Amino acid sequence: MIWDRLTRSVWNAAAPVLVAAALLVLSAAGLPAQEMPGLDRPSGLAGQGLRPYWHVFAAYTIAIVLVIVWVWSIARRLRDVEERLGG
Amino acid sequence: MQVKGMRRWGTALTVLGLLGLILVYWMSFFWVSTEATQGIVQRIFYVHVPAAWTSFLAFGLCALTSGMYLWLRDERLDRAALAAAEGGMVFATIMLTTGPLWGKIAWGTYWTWEPRLTLTLLLWFIFLGYFMVRGSTEDPGKGKRFAAVVAIVGALEIPFIHLSVIWFRSLHPQPVVVRPDGPTLPGDMFATLMTSLGAFTVLFLGMFLLRYALEGLKSELDARTRRAIA
Repeated sequence: MIWDRLTRSVWNAAAPVLVAAALLVLSAAGLPAQEMPGLDRPSGLAGQGLRPYWHVFAAYTIAIVLVIVWVWSIARRLRDVEERLGG
Repeated sequence: MQVKGMRRWGTALTVLGLLGLILVYWMSFFWVSTEATQGIVQRIFYVHVPAAWTSFLAFGLCALTSGMYLWLRDERLDRAALAAAEGGMVFATIMLTTGPLWGKIAWGTYWTWEPRLTLTLLLWFIFLGYFMVRGSTEDPGKGKRFAAVVAIVGALEIPFIHLSVIWFRSLHPQPVVVRPDGPTLPGDMFATLMTSLGAFTVLFLGMFLLRYALEGLKSELDARTRRAIA
């Protein structure tokens, strides 16, 4: 069925996206090692240690997880309705 | 556009939006320069602002189609409003969770009852009410009409949210893009933000079309069930 192929194509695209996003977030753990112009003498917000990094990773993780859950939810609901219409 | 065409376009735009999101994540983590005053936490900006923009776009679209539904009573407009409202809630939730993560570092607190935050939370609750009102009446038509009114009232709040940082004393940063004198962001930050805005918008449009197609199929299923009973 055409829709089955479409649903599969969404998932075939979504799965690598999820993996790539997870890899990006994990690999971004190397960010603290990056040189930061203008932050040679950390002060104020810039001098709060590693905590800001966790907040950034949490924010990006929440965003990608909510998007992927939404994509999955619509794909699942579409598949269910399509099956019931076909049955 | 037929349901089949919408699914095709919806799938294509969704895949494009997800690929755009990968690019945005790469730009945010590895390409854009770190803001000198705020440091690394400023990077939350590249998901927070586009999520806010997309949620306002979705709620605005919901209000527009709701208004047209009240006028024309075309079921397709109600389906479009529902699809847009669901997308708006997803992106508003991203906005309302990523903002406090930035606020904890920048302000020292996750939440403060300042005008923009309070109005945005109110908007989220109004659209939560949109879904509750739809299912609260025995007559589905009445529920849809009530929900349409809620959507219009909710969307009227959006300009106030944007202007609240100008009109009131606010902890929230002033606009850096939509300003009378133009954007104030450096080039690489502006490019990252625009890429993110594009990816979020395309993703929303794709998912909107798929969600609209879903509602179309549901109504087809309902009609078929009613015919079978009769």
